[in-house]
Amino acid sequence: MIANLVVGGLAAGCLYAMVGIAIVIVLNITDIANFAQGEMAMLATFFAYWLMDSLGLPWWQAVSIAIVFGLVEGIVIQQVVIRPLIGGPVLSAIIATLGLNVVLNSLAGMIWGHQTYTFPSPFAFSAPFVIGGVPIAVDSVVNIAVGLVIIIAMTLFLRFSWTGLGLRAASQNHTVARLMGVSITRTSAIAWGLGGLVGAVAGVLVAPSLFLDTNLMGALLIKAFAGGVLGGLNSLIGVFLGCLALGVTENLASAYVSPSFAEATTFIIIIAVLTVRPEGIFGRIRVRKA
Amino acid sequence: MTHLAIEDVSVDFGGIHALRGVGFGLEAGSIVGLIGPNGAGKSTLLNCISGITRPTAGRVWLGDAVLSTMSSAAVARCGIGRVFQHPELVAELSVHDNLLVACHCSLHYGLFSELLRLPDVRRQERAAAKRVSTVLSRLGIADSAGARVGSLPYGHRKLVDLGRALLMNIRFLLLDEPIAGLNDAEISRLREILLALRREFGLGILVVEHNMPFVSGLCDRLVVLDLGQLIANGPPAEVLGDARVMSSYLGEALDA
Amino acid sequence: MSAAADIVRASLPRASWSWGAALVGICFVLACGAPLGVNGYGLYLLTLTGIFALVALGLNFLTGYAGQISLCHASFFGVGAYATAILTQKAGVPYLLALLSGALFTTAIGAIVAVPALRLRNIYLAIATLGFGVVLQKIIFEWRSLTGGGGGLALAAPSIAGHEVGATGLYYLTLAVMSAGLFGAWNVSRGRTGRALLVIKDSEIAAGSLGIHAARYKVTAFAISAFYAAIAGGLFAYLVRYINPESFGVGLSISFLSMVVIGGLGTIGGSIVGAAFYVIVPELLRGIKDAPGLVFGLLLVVVMVFMPQGLWGMMRRLGRGSVG
Repeated sequence: MIANLVVGGLAAGCLYAMVGIAIVIVLNITDIANFAQGEMAMLATFFAYWLMDSLGLPWWQAVSIAIVFGLVEGIVIQQVVIRPLIGGPVLSAIIATLGLNVVLNSLAGMIWGHQTYTFPSPFAFSAPFVIGGVPIAVDSVVNIAVGLVIIIAMTLFLRFSWTGLGLRAASQNHTVARLMGVSITRTSAIAWGLGGLVGAVAGVLVAPSLFLDTNLMGALLIKAFAGGVLGGLNSLIGVFLGCLALGVTENLASAYVSPSFAEATTFIIIIAVLTVRPEGIFGRIRVRKA
Repeated sequence: MTHLAIEDVSVDFGGIHALRGVGFGLEAGSIVGLIGPNGAGKSTLLNCISGITRPTAGRVWLGDAVLSTMSSAAVARCGIGRVFQHPELVAELSVHDNLLVACHCSLHYGLFSELLRLPDVRRQERAAAKRVSTVLSRLGIADSAGARVGSLPYGHRKLVDLGRALLMNIRFLLLDEPIAGLNDAEISRLREILLALRREFGLGILVVEHNMPFVSGLCDRLVVLDLGQLIANGPPAEVLGDARVMSSYLGEALDA
Repeated sequence: MSAAADIVRASLPRASWSWGAALVGICFVLACGAPLGVNGYGLYLLTLTGIFALVALGLNFLTGYAGQISLCHASFFGVGAYATAILTQKAGVPYLLALLSGALFTTAIGAIVAVPALRLRNIYLAIATLGFGVVLQKIIFEWRSLTGGGGGLALAAPSIAGHEVGATGLYYLTLAVMSAGLFGAWNVSRGRTGRALLVIKDSEIAAGSLGIHAARYKVTAFAISAFYAAIAGGLFAYLVRYINPESFGVGLSISFLSMVVIGGLGTIGGSIVGAAFYVIVPELLRGIKDAPGLVFGLLLVVVMVFMPQGLWGMMRRLGRGSVG
């Protein structure tokens, strides 16, 4: 019984982790917590849906185009909204992304209305894996696998490529990075583009299970932030593990404490963790020098 | 309350020994210069005295009160004023209001009285405003009173920062590189102000500086730190002639 | 806003001071006479504006002055609403006393919320306050016997000193409370607490060196803002006569934040302008679903990028331009 709950929790946690990874990429490189990340992903997912529904494109094509859309979306938003705010107080950027969240949500509502749509998944009809007597949906396995692939790819990219090196340099110290020839706005744009891309991936993977409507990402975003805060927003692995832990805790709380209080219980745990460790379980205090 | 004693203070930042067993004293009415090459631990020492950093070992005393276990706000209330390297003034407020903040500890009214702005509150605020005007004229920047801090030249902002410390009824003043970024006229004005403070109020002053002529002309005593350790403590002439001090700044001679 | 006063004093002739005072006076007279000139719905909107202005005034201390982001003020608003409602309906406490008690109760909660928040910054603070909001909302939802749970609570008209308080009565009460709140907020902004909060926002280290206990003042800021939100909630409950936990969620907290930001962070006039804006815009855009959201979201972004002083700052600059 517990095994089922844990597996279910891990699957849910993976969904949060997908969004969380997008958030952490942007946060670590540009120091801005993107509260619009979920809505950006939702928009990209709606775009994929439109491609499939109105233009009749197959899943793989629609999703690939939507992922590129996510990349472009991220870069555009960074250029228009974020670039003017670089170097300013963090509060301003947080509020701006909150505003963006509302804008994108309203836009999607205006274009697609507020009904719920079904988003297809190529794995919907596959039989679940069974491990140790516990059935795990193929969707969940794919989510976990994709999440891990993204983390590994990101880590390799940041560590071993010149662009990645530039990104890491910019995240530590703007002035020195500039002196080394790294363009801060360019790295910022790349980071936001990557965030948008990963967000789009998250959206198309999440939509089949949670159904596509304008509220798709709202709750997920909060969970992603919460899980990330729990695990420490400094590292991709931290946010991944934090979100998994959040998913499992929620499921267990739902079964053993009370279904309706599950969400509240997890937040209580998060607040308790933050009280003792203000940077999250795996987090480190980062000092960024301008 | 007339003696500031640093007793065997050590500070470790996870493997880095910022300070090792540093000890010296500061009397009211004396001016001591704290010098040493970059990274010697001078700012860390000031932070220990101000209560911003807790020493890993050793203590800081003010008279017979232990400062090193107090919060920085409590240390400030004991009469230790601190002027930071870069002025941290509130950009939105005018010069006058930035100085008014420093009167915080001398204003004694509760939140309830403040909400209603009772006559007592108004009286205290007027008195504080008067003290601020006095300090402004003292520092020679009275005509900038209404200006927004962001529009002031650097030298003026440093004076405002100094003014804040002065409004706090301090007995000891800690200055972190006060003349960096000032021109000659401003430097000699600062020097006069510091000497006047010592003369009129018997302030004890600890100055961290790199400018040797300024420091040897102003201070009664120099304390030298190198790599977290105290290597000299005495009158300027003696300390500046000390071979160890020279080599810590200039490095070992090539043929030694 | 003694800083603002100084700048105004230094840069404008005496004449404009009396203009400012006259403007406030005119607004107040107009406000007092409003029920004579507007219909029932207009009065409702005005009362709502006053209520939200109260929330904004309080939140301004926390976010505008102390620089602490909070995503749980909707739940302080809600707790105030429920506390007042429960005290009047179920315990028979007189309305005004219930209003005050409910607010004091919520203030205590606000102070408690502040304590773990002391060491948190930015995103971590945002998430922690969001968490508190969720927990408080859930408690209201779950405690069915007391609050009516998800079904909500329907309220009868309140009475003060034996007389039933109708729409007009509630309007005047709100006006009175808001004026008191405005007076208090203005005084604190000119006093040591307001100045201390501004220093804390900029640098807690600088605050410490000036003898200011950052922690104590952050808790104070939370408490004041919770008090304002709770009183507003108690008035709101009897304006709408039906409350349910759904209304007091994160979305409303974000709306509160937008009011303060769009109006002008750190300014008292901004709180009122922001609240008025927040009430008027959905009315103007009625019928176009999602339009208000779009407008508010866009404004939040635009204000942050182009005019951090908000609408109030813009108005003041225009005013200064025409007088000077």
